[in-house]
Amino acid sequence: MNTGFRSQVVPEYRLLTESQIHEFHRAALEVNEKIGMRIGCDEGIALLKEHGCTMTDNNMVLIPSYLVEECLRSVPSGIDIYNRKGEPAMRLEGRNIYFGMGTDLHNTYDVYTGEMHRSVLQDVANASRVADSCRNIDFVASFALPHDVPTNTMYIECAKTMFQNTVKPIFTTAAGLEDLQIIVEMAETVVGGAEALRRWPCLIHYSEPTPPLVHSYGAVRKLFLCADKGVPITYVPSDVLGGSAPVTLAGGIVQALAEAQSGIVLHQLRRKGSPIISGFCVAPMDMRTAVFCYGPPEYRLTISAFCDIFHWYGIPMWSTVGSDSFVMDQQAGMEHAICTLMAALDGANLIHDVGYLGQGLVGDPAMLVMCDEIISYVKRFVRGFDMSRELMAIDVIQKVGAAGSYLAEEHTRKYFKQELWQPSLINRDDLEVWKQKGRLTYGQRVVQKTIQILENHRPEELRPEINEKIEEIAKRAEKGLAALHFVA
Amino acid sequence: MPELNSSLANAVVEGDIDVAKKLINQALAEGATAQGIIDKGLTPGMDCVGQRFKEGEMFIPEVLLSARTMQAGMEILRPLLTEKQATAAGTVVIGTVEGDIHTIGKDLVSIMMEGAGFKVIDLGIDVKPQRFVEAVREHKPDIVAMSAMLTTTMPKFAETVNALKEAGIRDRVKIMAGGAPVSRDFVAKVGADGYGSNATAAVDSAKSLMGR
Repeated sequence: MNTGFRSQVVPEYRLLTESQIHEFHRAALEVNEKIGMRIGCDEGIALLKEHGCTMTDNNMVLIPSYLVEECLRSVPSGIDIYNRKGEPAMRLEGRNIYFGMGTDLHNTYDVYTGEMHRSVLQDVANASRVADSCRNIDFVASFALPHDVPTNTMYIECAKTMFQNTVKPIFTTAAGLEDLQIIVEMAETVVGGAEALRRWPCLIHYSEPTPPLVHSYGAVRKLFLCADKGVPITYVPSDVLGGSAPVTLAGGIVQALAEAQSGIVLHQLRRKGSPIISGFCVAPMDMRTAVFCYGPPEYRLTISAFCDIFHWYGIPMWSTVGSDSFVMDQQAGMEHAICTLMAALDGANLIHDVGYLGQGLVGDPAMLVMCDEIISYVKRFVRGFDMSRELMAIDVIQKVGAAGSYLAEEHTRKYFKQELWQPSLINRDDLEVWKQKGRLTYGQRVVQKTIQILENHRPEELRPEINEKIEEIAKRAEKGLAALHFVA
Repeated sequence: MPELNSSLANAVVEGDIDVAKKLINQALAEGATAQGIIDKGLTPGMDCVGQRFKEGEMFIPEVLLSARTMQAGMEILRPLLTEKQATAAGTVVIGTVEGDIHTIGKDLVSIMMEGAGFKVIDLGIDVKPQRFVEAVREHKPDIVAMSAMLTTTMPKFAETVNALKEAGIRDRVKIMAGGAPVSRDFVAKVGADGYGSNATAAVDSAKSLMGR
C-alpha cells in the first residue's frame, strides 16, 4: 500500500513571466551601458576600465552589457554557510529559505518593563541569545546598535558579542574597511584561520551602494575585501520609490537592478567566483511623512520581482521582512506574517530583518520569539502535502464508515504529526482553560516566553582560549581605531 | 513481577495492544491476580499518559490508542474481577443529548473515562431524557454525563435533569455536562454537578465527584 505513485502538492508563486524578466534585465543593462554608475573609489574605476568600461565627462562609468552578463555568470549559484563550529547551517541556493535578523536598531524594548531605551551592547547579547534558542532563526545579526560603546568599534563589539552568545552564522555590517578587517580577523580566529573561514564561512557581511547610481568609496572597498577573503557579502541597493528612485515600481526595479548588477561586476572582477548574495530593496516613501516603509504591499511586489529575476540568474538572493509599527502590536504581527509568507513563496534565500519594528529603528527581543512561530507556520504552509493511495486514505474512510470517528485510528496516529502543524504560543486552548490561564493575549504569552529564554537558555560557550583572543582583538581595535575617521 | 508490570505500563503508554495482551496473559499464567495487573500495570500506564498529555508531550490520537490498549486489557481481566472490584472506580452513563448526533467529543470523554478506570455505559447519540432515566435505573451509575455540540440542544440538559428529578432518582447520581459551546456557568444553571471544558478536564471532574 505504501509503494508506487506519490506526489507532492506545494504552493507555488511567481510574479514575473519569463519575457518580463528579460525585459527588466535588458533595461538594467541599458542603464549600466548608457547612463552608467558613479564609482567613488579609484581602485574600482581602474579595475572597470581595465575590463573595457569607459568614463563619461560627468564621471559616470559606463559598463558594457557583455561584461555585466559575464560577471553574472561567474557568481556561484549556491553558497554554503556554516555555524561557528564549522557545521553546515545554510545552503543559499535555489528556493531554499533561511531567516535571520537585521542590524542597527537604535532603540530596544526591555521585555521586563515594556519600556523602550536607547540600545546598548547588552541588547545585542540578549537578541543573540534569544535567536540562538529559536529553531526557525537560522542566522544572527546584532539587532541593536549599541550606543554604550565607542562609535568606531560598535560593529566590532557587536560581532564579538554575537560570537559569544550564539553558535549560529553571523550577519554583520561595518562602518568601513578598517573595522570590517578586524571583524573578519575575529571570524578567522573563531573558525581556525583564514583558509578555514574561506572554506567554512560563518560570517556574512552586509553592505550597500548608495542609490541613485552610486557605489561609494567605502562600499567598493568592502566589496573588494570580501572578494579577497572569500567572505560572502550581501550587496543590496536600498532604493526609495519617489525619493532615490523613480516612483513607479517598474522604474525603481530597473534602477535598483542596474545598481545590483554593477555591484556584482565590481565584486566578480576583483575575484571571479567569489560568493555574493544579491537582490535589491525598492520600498515606498510615505508621501505624508517621508518615512521609508518596511511593511507595505508595494515592497512585497518589488521583492517578488527581483527574486524571480535572480532565480533566473541563478544567483543567491537576499530578502527582508519588517514592520513600521513602533511596538509589538497587531500591526507588527500583521506585517510580519504577510512579509514572511511572501518571502517564503518568493523562495528568497537569506531573509533578514526578522523582528524589525518602527521603520528599522526599534527592536524588541520578544518580536524574535513571535517571528519564530510565524516562520514555523509559514514553513508548514510552503511544505504543502503529499499524495498517495495510503495518504488519500480510502481504506480508512471505509473502515470508519458513516458517523464514526478517526481519532483513535492507527492511520491518524501514524500521520497526524507529519500532517498537522503544532503551534507553541498561538492560542488553541478552549475558552475555560484560556480564562484559567489568565486571559493572556498572544503578545503577553510571547513576552513570557522571551523572559523564560533569557533566564534559562545558555548558548554553547566559545572555548576559553578563543574567547580570550577575540577579547584581545577587540581591545586592540579600541586603541587602533580610536582616532579614525571612516570614509563612506 | 515489577519488571513485567512496568513493561505493561509501557505498552499502555505506547498504545501497543498486542504487546499488552501478551504481557497480561503471561502474567496471569504466572499466577498474578487481575487486580494486581490493573494496579501495577494498566493504571500506572494510564496515569503516565494523563500526565504526559497535560504537559503537552502526548496528543489525542496517542492518548486514545493508549486508552484502547487499557480497554483491551480490561476485556481480558474484567471476567476475573469481582463485581465490587470491577466498579470500584465508579460507573458512568454517558450520551449525547436528544436532537444532537455529534459523537466525537462524547466518544473522547468516554474513552478517557475508561482509561481512568471508570466503567462506562455509552448510550450513544440522540439520547432522550427518558433513556437516561432508564439507564440510571438499570445500571445504577455513580455519574450521568451529557454532551451537546449545538446551542439548540443545550436546553436538553435541563430537561434531562428534570426527568431524573421527576423519576425521583436525581439524588442517586452526580450529573455532568459538557461540549464545545457549553460553559461552566451554564452547567451550574441547569442544576448539574460537574463540568469539564475538555476531555481530560471532564475526567478530573468525574474523579473529584467520586471523591478521588
